[in-house]
Amino acid sequence: MTDRQAMIRTEALRLARMAGTPRWSRRQFLGRSAALLGVAAVGPAILAACGSDESSGGSGKSVTVSNWVDYMAPKSPKAFTDGTGIELKYKEDINDNNEYFAKVKPNLSKGESIGTDAFVLTDWMANRMINQVKWVQQLDDAKFPNKANMRVTLQKPPFDPTRAYSAPWQSGLTGIAYNIKETGKEIRTLDEFLAIEGSTTVLAEMRDTVGIFMLATGADPSVPTHADSLPAFDKLQKAIDDGSIGGTNGNEYVNDLASGNLAAAFAWSGDVAQISRDNADVRFMIPESGGMLWSDNLMIPSTSEKPGLASEFINFFYDPVNAAVLTNYIQYIAPVDGVEDELIKMGGSAAKLVDDPLVVPTAELLANVKIFGGLDEEEEVQFDEHFANITGTG
Amino acid sequence: MIQRDDQGRKRARAAPWLLLGPGMLFLFLFFFFPLYTLLEMSLSASPSRFASPVFTWEWANYSEALTQYGEQFSRSFLYATLATLAALAIAYPLAYVIAFRGGRYKNVLLGMVIVPFFTNFLIRTLAWKTIVGDQGMVVDMLRTVGILGEHESLLRRPIAVIGGLTYNFLPFMVLPIYVSLEKIDTRLVDAARDLYSTTWRAFRKIVFPLSLPGVFAGSLLVFIPAAGDFVNAYYLGSTKTTMIGNVVQNQFLVQVDYPVAAALSFVFMAIVMVIVAVYSKLLGTEDIA
Repeated sequence: MTDRQAMIRTEALRLARMAGTPRWSRRQFLGRSAALLGVAAVGPAILAACGSDESSGGSGKSVTVSNWVDYMAPKSPKAFTDGTGIELKYKEDINDNNEYFAKVKPNLSKGESIGTDAFVLTDWMANRMINQVKWVQQLDDAKFPNKANMRVTLQKPPFDPTRAYSAPWQSGLTGIAYNIKETGKEIRTLDEFLAIEGSTTVLAEMRDTVGIFMLATGADPSVPTHADSLPAFDKLQKAIDDGSIGGTNGNEYVNDLASGNLAAAFAWSGDVAQISRDNADVRFMIPESGGMLWSDNLMIPSTSEKPGLASEFINFFYDPVNAAVLTNYIQYIAPVDGVEDELIKMGGSAAKLVDDPLVVPTAELLANVKIFGGLDEEEEVQFDEHFANITGTG
Repeated sequence: MIQRDDQGRKRARAAPWLLLGPGMLFLFLFFFFPLYTLLEMSLSASPSRFASPVFTWEWANYSEALTQYGEQFSRSFLYATLATLAALAIAYPLAYVIAFRGGRYKNVLLGMVIVPFFTNFLIRTLAWKTIVGDQGMVVDMLRTVGILGEHESLLRRPIAVIGGLTYNFLPFMVLPIYVSLEKIDTRLVDAARDLYSTTWRAFRKIVFPLSLPGVFAGSLLVFIPAAGDFVNAYYLGSTKTTMIGNVVQNQFLVQVDYPVAAALSFVFMAIVMVIVAVYSKLLGTEDIA
C-alpha cells in the first residue's frame, strides 16, 4: 500500500463514521419516537391525575374538549366558562378522522385515559366508535336539557337512533368549489367538473368523494354496497388515469383554490363560505346529480370521568344564542333549532347569513344531498382498499 | 504491587464496556426493542379490523407487501436516486467553492447552507409548493417561454416531488462533501501542476478521488431519508406520484392494517440495506460500509 493509498484509507475510515451517521440518526429518531410514544402513553394518565375530580365543584371544575381546527368562535370558550363556571381546556387536535382514531386507539382499546372528555368525529367514525369498537359512553341527558333543540332531521341517525351517545356539533355539505377566474364559467355537474382544463382535486375522505361519484352514476350512497359502487369507482379511476383529476386533498384545497393553484376541487361548504368572504371568485355548488350531507358529532370517550361536565359543554352550545355565535363565525350548518332567529337578532353580516343556502340550507338543497350510510366491517374494508388503490396508495 | 497491577488491568478491560453501557442500553430500549415489536407485528394477523393483531407467523403480510406495492417501491427508489443525483450536482460545486475559494467567508457560507434547517421540514415543503405553484414565478416563466402549456402545472408532477426531496435534503449532501474537500492537502494539487497536469486532470486524479468518502456519506444521507419520505409526495405530488411512505401511512392510519404496514417497513429496510451494500461495494469503500 502506498502512502497515498494509506492516506485515502485513513480518510475514508474517518468518514466512515460519518457514513454511519444516517443509520445513527435513524436510530436516534426511532429511539426518540419511542420515547415520545412513551410520554404520549404516560402523559394522558398524568393529565388525568392532575384534572380535578368532577364532584369537587366550585372553581375547580374543568373539562377538556378535542375538536377540529377553526370549529369554534374565538369568544365562545370564555362565554362558556362565564356562563357555567366550568373551566374549558379546548384543544384543536383533530385533523382527520382516521388519524385521530389511530392516535387514540392504543389507549382507548386498553381502557386508558386519552386526556380528553369529549371529541368530535364525523358520522361514519361515530358509528365505529359507538357500534363497532364501543369506546364511548352515554351523554348525561339530565345535564343536557337543550337536547330538545336538536333539529328533527338529526335526531335519529341509524348509528345512534336515540342520540344517547352523540350530539351533532355542526353539519355541512360536500360539493364542488371552483375559482371562476380559472374555470371561465359556472360549473353545474360532475361531468363539467371533470372537463375543466386546469388542476382539480377530490377529497381524500373516501365517503365524500365516492358518495358524489355514486350519485352521478345512479347509485344511492345512503345505502351503500360495494357492488353498487363499482360504476362510481370506475368513473373515478378513469378520471384519475386520464388526468381529469389531479389528485386528492385534505383541508389544503382551501389555500390552493384562493390562490389559483387549483381551478376546482371537491370541498366542504363551510370552508368555502369562509374563503368566499374574501374572494368572490371562489364559488360552491352541489352537482345536479347530488352532493353529500354529513355531521361531526360530539362524543364522550368511555375513559372520561366527567361525562356530566362534557354534557354541560354540549348543552351550552345547544342554546340557540350560543349556537348562533358559532354559526356566525364558522359558517357551517348549525344542528340547533332557532339559530336563524338569533342570527337575525345579531344583525349586520350575521343576519345576511340566513339567506346563504350553505349556512341555512333550503328544502330543495336538502332534497339533493344524501348522508353516506353505515358500512359493515367487511364492506368498509372493500371500500377503503378500492379507494386506496385508485388514489395510489393501495 | 502485582495486585494493584491486576486491578488496573481489570479496570482497563471494564472501561470500554462501562463507556458503551449507556449507549447500548439506550439502543436496546429505544431501537432494538421497538424493532423487535415491529417485526412481531409484521408477522401478526387481526381477527377483525379493530381487534389487536395476534402473532401467528403470518407470512402472507410479506407476500402482500412484496407483490402489491411494486409500483410504489420502485417509484420511491427512482425518485430518491434522482434526488440524490440532483443534490450531488448542486452540492459538489457549492462545497468545492466553499472549501477552496471561501476564504474568510467559509463559515458564513456554511451557515447559509444550514440556515434553511432552522425552519420546520413541513414549512419548507409547503414553501416549495408556493415556489412551484401555478401562481409562482417558476411556472409563470416556463409558461411564457412555452415549455409549459397554459393549463399545465409543475405541482402534482414527479418533478415537483423530486425537486422537493432534493431541496429538503441538500444540506446533508453539502456538509460531508465540504468536510472531505476541506481536508485535502492543496500541495498535492500544486505538485500535480508542477508536473504539468491540467487543472481538470488534477481534479479528476486527485481532488475527486480524495473527496469520494464525502460523496459516499452525502449520498447515503440524502438517499435513505428521501426514499422513505412521504411528506413531499403528499403535498407536492398526486395519486400518480405516491411513494412507499404514503402506502405505509395509508395502511397505518386509514386501513388500520398494522401488520401489513409493519411488513412494508421491513421490506423497505431490507431493500435499503441491499442498495447500500451494493453501493459501498461499487464505490470501493467496503471497509466502511
